[in-house]
Amino acid sequence: MLEICDLRVHIDGHEIIHIDELDLPPGTRLGLVGESGSGKTMTAKAIAGLLPDEAKVSGTVRFDGQDLLELNDAEFSKIRGKRIGFVFQDPARSLNPMMRIGRQVSEAIRLHTDLKGQAVTDKVVELLELVQLPDPAALVRRYPHQLSGGQQQRVMIAAAIAADPELLIADEPTTALDVTVQDEILRLLISLSEQRNMSVLFVSHDLGVIRFVCDRVAVIYGGHVVETGSVEDVIGRPYHRYTTALLAANPGMPKDDDFTSFIGQRLHTIPGSVPAIGRFPSGCRFRNRCEHASASCAEVPTPVTVGDGHRYSCWHPDGEG
Amino acid sequence: MAIVDVDDMYFHYPRATLGADDEGWTLCGISLAVNAGSTLGIVGESGSGKSTLVRVLCGLLRHQRGTVRFDGRDIGEFRAEGSNELRRKNQIVFQNPRRSLDPRMTIRRSLSEPMRALQGRKPDDDELIDSLEKVGLGREVLPRFPHQLSGGQLQRVGIARSLSVDPTVLYADEPVSALDVSVKAQVLNLLMDLRDKLGLTLVMVSHDLGVVSRMCEEIIVMRHGRIVESGRTDVVLTRPESAYTAALLAAARVTSL
Amino acid sequence: MTNADALRITSANDDLAIPAGPRSLWRRLRRLPITLYLGGALVSIFVFVALLSFVWTPYPPNQLAMSNRLAPPGTPGFLLGTDRAGRDVTTELMLGARNSLYVSVVSTIVAMVVGTTIGLAVAGSNRFLQGPLTRLVDAGLALPGILTALVLAAKLGPGNTTATLAIIVWQIPVAARVTIGPARQVLALDFVEAAYGYGRRKPYIMVRHVLQNISPLLIVLGSVMFAAAILIEAALAFLGVGVQPPTSSWGRFLNETQSLLEAAPYLMFFPGLAIVFTALGFNLLGDGLRTVFDPQQARTGLS
Repeated sequence: MLEICDLRVHIDGHEIIHIDELDLPPGTRLGLVGESGSGKTMTAKAIAGLLPDEAKVSGTVRFDGQDLLELNDAEFSKIRGKRIGFVFQDPARSLNPMMRIGRQVSEAIRLHTDLKGQAVTDKVVELLELVQLPDPAALVRRYPHQLSGGQQQRVMIAAAIAADPELLIADEPTTALDVTVQDEILRLLISLSEQRNMSVLFVSHDLGVIRFVCDRVAVIYGGHVVETGSVEDVIGRPYHRYTTALLAANPGMPKDDDFTSFIGQRLHTIPGSVPAIGRFPSGCRFRNRCEHASASCAEVPTPVTVGDGHRYSCWHPDGEG
Repeated sequence: MAIVDVDDMYFHYPRATLGADDEGWTLCGISLAVNAGSTLGIVGESGSGKSTLVRVLCGLLRHQRGTVRFDGRDIGEFRAEGSNELRRKNQIVFQNPRRSLDPRMTIRRSLSEPMRALQGRKPDDDELIDSLEKVGLGREVLPRFPHQLSGGQLQRVGIARSLSVDPTVLYADEPVSALDVSVKAQVLNLLMDLRDKLGLTLVMVSHDLGVVSRMCEEIIVMRHGRIVESGRTDVVLTRPESAYTAALLAAARVTSL
Repeated sequence: MTNADALRITSANDDLAIPAGPRSLWRRLRRLPITLYLGGALVSIFVFVALLSFVWTPYPPNQLAMSNRLAPPGTPGFLLGTDRAGRDVTTELMLGARNSLYVSVVSTIVAMVVGTTIGLAVAGSNRFLQGPLTRLVDAGLALPGILTALVLAAKLGPGNTTATLAIIVWQIPVAARVTIGPARQVLALDFVEAAYGYGRRKPYIMVRHVLQNISPLLIVLGSVMFAAAILIEAALAFLGVGVQPPTSSWGRFLNETQSLLEAAPYLMFFPGLAIVFTALGFNLLGDGLRTVFDPQQARTGLS
């Protein structure tokens, strides 16, 4: 469905993204995980054609066989919304506070489908039901501020899938929500993806969330994919030192309810912090923060494949001894 | 001995319309005790009143009903005598470090603010560098402005700032939720180290059960302005009595590693 | 690695969040908005001319030469011609600039100081008072400026002082009203709450935190108020409420050209354009400053 090949993004002379390859087969859910400054949002924007003007992009992003990077703005707009849907982080900001809910969703429908008049209204109600909003007929007349955060996000999702897209790009869709609401929204995304055979590119900083929602994950640091594979493989048996560090730094919950030994236990930290653009070391981007770095890390590590689709790029992977 | 003691406290924001059934009150019937040197976690979702509770306990907001006692004395007494004692002994670390520091003040100035305000004196650079070292920062941040530092660094400045006046109780309102995973770990470790080294009483507000279970021996669960459940963390989170706590736990487990 | 080690590495490795901006001064200057340059240029010309008039004008002030009245521009010795009393237009304009500068500077500074203080006081007042106080300020805004000026002129007689006073009275509510909103916003920010938390009291917070954080806005406000002052002064002089002869003023000059529409229709353009360009200059400058101060915390690229 989505094939990324040698994608490079330059801003201000710095190469901020370099992805050799990344695939998203139809109907699957891929998580793009990284911290702020990792390039995960930029990657999503590159795919969506929403990069700032100063960004220079090269490589191929093949969507259903067609290279998106070759399209101009007009052509891309036709695809955006119709075949690729978007859900962003803060629904309160993505919804127009002065427009009724029904109208915002119907705009999406009118733009990308041929429906008119009553058919549009019906479709709006249908979509709101699909995202499990209560009493859709009454909801269409409400304004965003009259809805809770979770409900607003459901509206966003409804608008995003209005034209029945084949790919949904979700950028931190639940970060601003309470944990119980997050749970429901994530389940909704999973069921929508399965029902409609819709691929999902899920961008998040939270590995736990990604493990729940996605089949596969790509860990991204400094604009490079450092490890990718199925969620069980990458989280259960990580190889790249950044992946292991990320997992170790996660507060998590005590296993088997063993709270007594959990409490007060220090977390394993990653020294330093994510460098600013243009300040990453050459070669392996993680080497200035990695405990296991050596002189050979000045060379960009070549990807190694272990197992089914599980790939990492590290000279001193975990388990090396 | 309980350093903070609350009995049936009610709080509402000014101009709130009060109705029957305690409607309009942001905090209802809060009773709790915090033992000196312990770490208490306050969990709840948005709108539960947990941040408001912290501000009432510190004396930043005035409660309308019930009693709040600090170190045995009603906090109204501290206010009446006009002293800075209550303020000095209760400090807060805020959620968003980028917003809790004045963007137009250098770090040097921001760090010295509590001492200037509460102790009427200006700390010299050596004292400031000492504070910074405690939180793992170096002197080079002193002349900088907040926008030149990372979120993790800023949060550490925030912690250093609140510790500069030797508080007895440190309230941390979601101190790590605005931070990246790796930085979160650093700051949590830091808080634990500082607490142990300085014998602080720590009250941590968080929506993240994982963070709370790692740091707090005691926990209270809040919902809609009330305490739904409280007790030892390991007890509450393994055998929750309230359905709400159970629901929170279930949701947290689904997305935790 | 122990936590202590991690912390030590942290402080060594912690990169500053923002990379240095463009290295060269030239690149940084290029990034500034054009309105800043345009506005700055116009304002500088105005100030320069006004100040220059204190040391030099083509002709001594008020030198009448009735034989030479209404000479068209380009007449040898009179670059822009002469007015109906034979005074050199260029000299008149320069002297008028001096007047406008004096009135606009004094009135703007006073109006801003008083208005901002009132605005801060209202923003910091308790919740019950805020509504009524804001409405009071609004009432001040609603006062018709010209009428106030006329009343003042009736009591105090026309002149620069009256004009200045009228502008001040007119502009104080503007400054106050503009200050209230942003001041309230800053008061709601986290670091203000933090300041209360470590023991600061309201007056200190209003000055040290709120005022400092709305200062970019105030700079912009000031430049816009300058522009308004220029225009109002000209209008008042035009109406006969401002300076009287022999002091020069663009507004009065403009007034005089009214009756000369047949004899010298071009004459009105000189004071008119002087007013327009000066006011425009201040407005552009204000716009440019606002753009410059807005992305104060600007970061590049990934966030």
